[in-house]
Amino acid sequence: MDARVQDTTVKGEIDITGVNKVFGQGAAAFHALTDIDLSIATGEFFTLLGPSGCGKTTLLRVIAGFEQPSSGSLRINGAEVAGLGPNRRPVNTVFQSYALFPHMTVAQNIGFGLKMLGKPRREIEATAAEMLRLVRMEALAERRPAELSGGQQQRVALARALAPRPRVLLLDEPLSALDLKLRKEMQSELKRLQTETGITFVFVTHDQEEALTMSDRVAVMSAGRILQMGRPTEIYNAPVNRFVADFIGETNFLVLPVAQTEGDAAHLTLPGGKRAQALLPDGMLPVTGADVTAVIRPEQATIVEPDAGDMTATVDSAVFFGTDTHLHLTLSDGQPFVLRRQNRPGQQPPEPGTALGLSLAPGALRVLED
Amino acid sequence: MRAPLFRGHGWKWLLCAPALTVLLLAASGPLLIVLVYSFLSPGNMGGVVWEFSTEGWFRVFFRRDIFEPDLVTWNQAHLAVFWRSIWLSLQTTLICAFLGFPTAWFIATRPPSTRTVWLFLITIPFWTNLLIRTFAIQEVIRNNGTINTVLMRLGVIDSPIQMMFTDFAVLLGMAYVFLPLMVLPLYAAMEKMDFRLVEAGYDLYASRLMVLWHVILPQVKPGFIAGSILVFIPAIGAYVTPRVLGGGRTMMLGNLIALQFGQGRNWPLGAALAMLMLVVVVGALVLYLRAVNRMEGARRG
Ligand SMILES: Nc1ncnc2c1ncn2[C@@H]1O[C@H](COP(=O)(O)OP(=O)(O)OP(=O)(O)O)[C@@H](O)[C@H]1O
Ligand SMILES: [Mg+2]
Repeated sequence: MDARVQDTTVKGEIDITGVNKVFGQGAAAFHALTDIDLSIATGEFFTLLGPSGCGKTTLLRVIAGFEQPSSGSLRINGAEVAGLGPNRRPVNTVFQSYALFPHMTVAQNIGFGLKMLGKPRREIEATAAEMLRLVRMEALAERRPAELSGGQQQRVALARALAPRPRVLLLDEPLSALDLKLRKEMQSELKRLQTETGITFVFVTHDQEEALTMSDRVAVMSAGRILQMGRPTEIYNAPVNRFVADFIGETNFLVLPVAQTEGDAAHLTLPGGKRAQALLPDGMLPVTGADVTAVIRPEQATIVEPDAGDMTATVDSAVFFGTDTHLHLTLSDGQPFVLRRQNRPGQQPPEPGTALGLSLAPGALRVLED
Repeated sequence: MRAPLFRGHGWKWLLCAPALTVLLLAASGPLLIVLVYSFLSPGNMGGVVWEFSTEGWFRVFFRRDIFEPDLVTWNQAHLAVFWRSIWLSLQTTLICAFLGFPTAWFIATRPPSTRTVWLFLITIPFWTNLLIRTFAIQEVIRNNGTINTVLMRLGVIDSPIQMMFTDFAVLLGMAYVFLPLMVLPLYAAMEKMDFRLVEAGYDLYASRLMVLWHVILPQVKPGFIAGSILVFIPAIGAYVTPRVLGGGRTMMLGNLIALQFGQGRNWPLGAALAMLMLVVVVGALVLYLRAVNRMEGARRG
């Protein structure tokens, strides 16, 4: 499983090379997708993550066949699918709006794809029953979509898209209409379904936490481009640029002067004069003395005695989050810093104005490209 | 909370009284007069004589031999008119449905800003007097009208095609006049339609035809129902179109009724025919809606 995830050059279930999508013409032309290259392996849970309007839905619609790419090639299971309509691609979509047929029962909705494929009635009924079991909706087979709750409709949409056993399932923010609790439930449900069926999932979300917890691999998109693609840990721990670092999780941006470079690492001068090693992105060689932007996650610094750590800071405020507390700090040179500390019984948050020492986890500091 | 509401009920209906009075006088009043007239005897110069008689109703269906009054036969002429009215109206409804669907679809799939323009164009004929529109059709299809003249000049035909005074002429006229009444409710249904369902259909391997049949038609069915009612009812009572385009040979119910009140000078017969038409229309409506409901019920299982 891991070999598959790591090797992104292997020809997979979906191969997209140099895909562009331009809406409109002339002065009104809008570049919704720019030079998209990606390859998704069979059985992978692949997530497209990005802010609203970055082109996630457009990319999904290109894969499904609702939009034709302006240029580039798209292969599904090795076969070029340009010019094939959505009804001739081995791909099904779970729509954000669910798009269940209101005039059909749940069972009829689920059987629709197989019916259109001309399967015999007995097979359709058997598969529909199996799908209903899979999404735990057996009792509601004869209901109409209007008589279902949001979560139930979501399950039916999922069952309907899975019933024809597509090679690839496209899911466009399928959970965004659900409340938090149901959403968590459906997240694990989705993960279970994907493992049970072995179908390749391409999942769209703008929720970074959802993307990190569910995916084998994540592609972070912005303004029609893929900025970074990799396993959730890679994306989280080694963001390639400011946008990714900012979009995924919380992060501290520190502007620091370079003291010295060696290989793929640099020594930065921290506020207060001490030095810390920071990883450099590929091919970047900053000049000694120049300012660079470095990032560090809030949970990768720990509180120590003043003067004992790498930096000193004063507390501005403390925000309680249940499992942990966010401390908003000011470093000795005036830059803000957020620190996340896990709560322990009996531990009191420090008073505003308290001076603290900060110790940075080794390898936590990374220099950004920008 | 509930008590004042209940107390209020006692007099609140009084507020409806003016509307009820108007409805009673305007709708039921004339109807009642027609019903009463159908059971009176005809006057010599038209009008009625206040003398109870079922002769009007009798003559709707039967005729007496002039020389032997006891010899009763079916009134073939009347039955032919009934049959033609129902058949022509059904055909008109079907033609309007077939032409109206693509028209409404075309409008509903335009960008919202241009839809109003198309809708406006659809309603333009309503602004012109019905008689004038009907004469315009006559101008197109009469023996030395536009179509025949052009075809003869081009040498396609030697002698004019007889289109006036045929069922075809009446159908053409009625379809033209009633088409907007089908397009508008169909458009309303399509505008409400969720086009994402069409995509869902394509995604689930349906061909264009299958999407039309399984996804689009079920959704615009309310539009078809409303449109059919709006077309069928005025079509069965149409007067001007069959009069101008059909002449005396292809009479419809409306013309037959008018004839009894005019040259026929048999108001009770005319009144009975009018009541019959009402029964036919209401009956057709009830049957239709029942059939639709039953289909719905069967599918709901
Ligand atoms: N048919 C279209 N014509 C013109 N522009 C379009 C069309 N469809 C999408 N766009 C534009 O392309 C961009 C990307 O849209 P897309 O729907 O892919 O965004 P998204 O990432 O799915 O956003 P969201 O998270 O809000 O769903 C948007 O700026 C949108 O306005
Ligand atoms: Mg979207």
